[in-house]
Amino acid sequence: MDEPVKPDNGGQAAEAPYPSPEDPLGQLRGLLLAADHGQVVKLQERLDDPRSRAEDVSRVLTEAIEIRTREDRSLTDSLLPTVEEAIGISVRRHPEVLVDGLFPVMGPAIRKSIASTLADMLESLNQTLGQSFSRQGLKWRLEAWRTGKPFSEVVLLRTLLYRVEQVFLIHRKTGLLLAHVSAGGSGVQDADMVSGMLTAIRDFVRDSFGGAETDALDAFRVGERTVWIEQGPEAILAGVIQGNPPRELRTVLAETIEKIHRDQARALEDFEGDAEPFQACRGDLEACLKSQRQPGGGSAPRSKGARRYRPLFAALALLLAAVGFWAFSTVSRNRKWEAYLERLAAQPGIVVTASGRRGGKFLVTGLRDPLAADPAAMLAPAKLRREDVVASWKPYHALDGELVAARARSVLAAPQTVSLRAENGALLAAGSASRRWIEEARKLARAIPGVARYDDRGVADTDRRKLDLAREKLEATRILFARGSSELAPSETGKLDIAAREIADLPALAAAAGRQIRVEVVGRGDSEGTEDLNVPLSRRRAERVLGVLRANLPDVPLTATGVGSAQPLVPERSEEDRQLNRSVSFRAVVNDLQPPETPR
Amino acid sequence: MIQKKICMLGAFAVGKTSLVSRFVKSLFSDKYHSTVGVKVDKKTVAVGQEQLDLLLWDLYGEDEFQKIRTSYLRGSAGYVLVADGTRRETLDRAVILQNRAEEAIGKVPFVLMVNKADLTDKWELDADALEELAGRGWPAFKTSAKTGAGVEEAFLTLARKMLAG
Repeated sequence: MDEPVKPDNGGQAAEAPYPSPEDPLGQLRGLLLAADHGQVVKLQERLDDPRSRAEDVSRVLTEAIEIRTREDRSLTDSLLPTVEEAIGISVRRHPEVLVDGLFPVMGPAIRKSIASTLADMLESLNQTLGQSFSRQGLKWRLEAWRTGKPFSEVVLLRTLLYRVEQVFLIHRKTGLLLAHVSAGGSGVQDADMVSGMLTAIRDFVRDSFGGAETDALDAFRVGERTVWIEQGPEAILAGVIQGNPPRELRTVLAETIEKIHRDQARALEDFEGDAEPFQACRGDLEACLKSQRQPGGGSAPRSKGARRYRPLFAALALLLAAVGFWAFSTVSRNRKWEAYLERLAAQPGIVVTASGRRGGKFLVTGLRDPLAADPAAMLAPAKLRREDVVASWKPYHALDGELVAARARSVLAAPQTVSLRAENGALLAAGSASRRWIEEARKLARAIPGVARYDDRGVADTDRRKLDLAREKLEATRILFARGSSELAPSETGKLDIAAREIADLPALAAAAGRQIRVEVVGRGDSEGTEDLNVPLSRRRAERVLGVLRANLPDVPLTATGVGSAQPLVPERSEEDRQLNRSVSFRAVVNDLQPPETPR
Repeated sequence: MIQKKICMLGAFAVGKTSLVSRFVKSLFSDKYHSTVGVKVDKKTVAVGQEQLDLLLWDLYGEDEFQKIRTSYLRGSAGYVLVADGTRRETLDRAVILQNRAEEAIGKVPFVLMVNKADLTDKWELDADALEELAGRGWPAFKTSAKTGAGVEEAFLTLARKMLAG
């Protein structure tokens, strides 16, 4: 404590001027206060000395702060701008000081923040699952569809106890908006006009229903929303609240408008339309954007455990259903695949060497004869999709009978009149074909894979048949003569002309059949008379015909012979039989060009 | 951004609502007129480099059966009087309203819009009447809600007067 102020006449007190004898009042004062004069002087010195005053204040400062802080927040509010500015300057000048100071708390703070975010996320996920799968969730979806609101908004409406969506700070006298804040996702109209209209409605209500100047509309409800209004002398605070707010929220609004009046007293008093100074109040207004969610997301009361696990059960059920569906479709597809593989294996000319599944697709590899059935074309009947199957086939020659026969038909260019069949390595041909094809087929058949032996005994030579028919027709021709005559009767010349044309065709037919041909002209007589007469007569008849033919067929080998009655065409039992034997007939003699090949 | 509250006053059916619906931003429907008696709209004007938001309190047209609520005038930085050039009595009503406004909120800037300037052949107002008002210091504008003539100029003049204090 201070040193006791002693009355003395020395020191500074001594410097005080003594009153002169002409100043009786001064003398009296000197007599009365002489003892205290020194103390008064000392006190004056202490008051005049800033250092002394600072020391005095420092002795009581801590207690003073404690006392005021207990009383209200005004000291904190007063110091706040200074402290904020000081921190700002400190961070700019010496950031390392703040970093060092914060370092021990930053790690735990970050971990706590991450843990909190994760917990919120899990809670949100659980709620989403609950809302998606529960009966309640479906009801809300129906409501969203019916009302045209987004599902998220319906969920918010049904799961919130309340939420302050917007807060308006309005100049009371003019109705002009000073500041406005809104919660994310809230639909906000033009706040300036809403502010004006809200003021007009308040004026209207007060005018209509009477009341003092201070009486005013302080709450109204519109559908799901409540508007609470807290009034101050210069400004009003209007909170738009979704749901059913608790009474405590009133207190929050009241304290906020009080604080704004305290902080912005001058700005409110001087307001002329410039709302810029009230941006500083946004923090206070945002502190009013409170919300509270219904425990359990708004569902009907039920046991805590069931409520907690219901979404899990629903998710599990969905998972099981998905797994079941997947298993069923997998088994079904596998069965179809197995059936397809069996059909493939049964196909001649297809050999499956490997099969399996990879990456959701079926795989098959093997050998395939180019003439075998197309495996891709067999997928559709097996109810498999082409894009689900990856196939790899290498070509080979199958020895299955029908494939060998098909291959032979292709290689030999067999005509439709020829059928081919393969059995035990033998290729059997039947039907009819030209001499040329028959000979070509005999050469090529040996080179066809799967053919060890070729048998074409069942194939008729069509060229040989044509030659035989022509021969038979010629040899049935009879050129008749009168008894004892070797002259051609006029009635027989026509027959001879026909025979000549038939003979003319024979060389070509014989060549096509791989043969050579010559024609013998055979003259005959009847059994009447002697052979000495009949033989020369029959030779003359033959030569007579030969003479006519040679004139027209110089290139055909022709010979003539007379056999008398030794080789009659028919036994003579009547005159008609004898007339038949008085004639000339033809014999076509066929010789092979080369020895015929032996069928194998 | 500076905001000012201004009121629009006029007799019934002088075309205030038409002026508002064409030249200002509206949020609320006209039914507020017949219920609350006022509708608040917004008009932004530029005075030099400064943008000014005029919060227009469009008061329901006054007639012999319904008086305007002067409580709505409170806090107005200015007002717009609207009359109908084709009806002489609407100008008389504007004079009455001006007196009432001045009683309620004191001397603040105002302008007079004499509407329906597109129908001058049917006008009942003559040049003398307007000159007399001009002589009183009334800033009067012939306006047309139909063509827009004079509307912006009137609002801008009021805005300038309010900013000038």
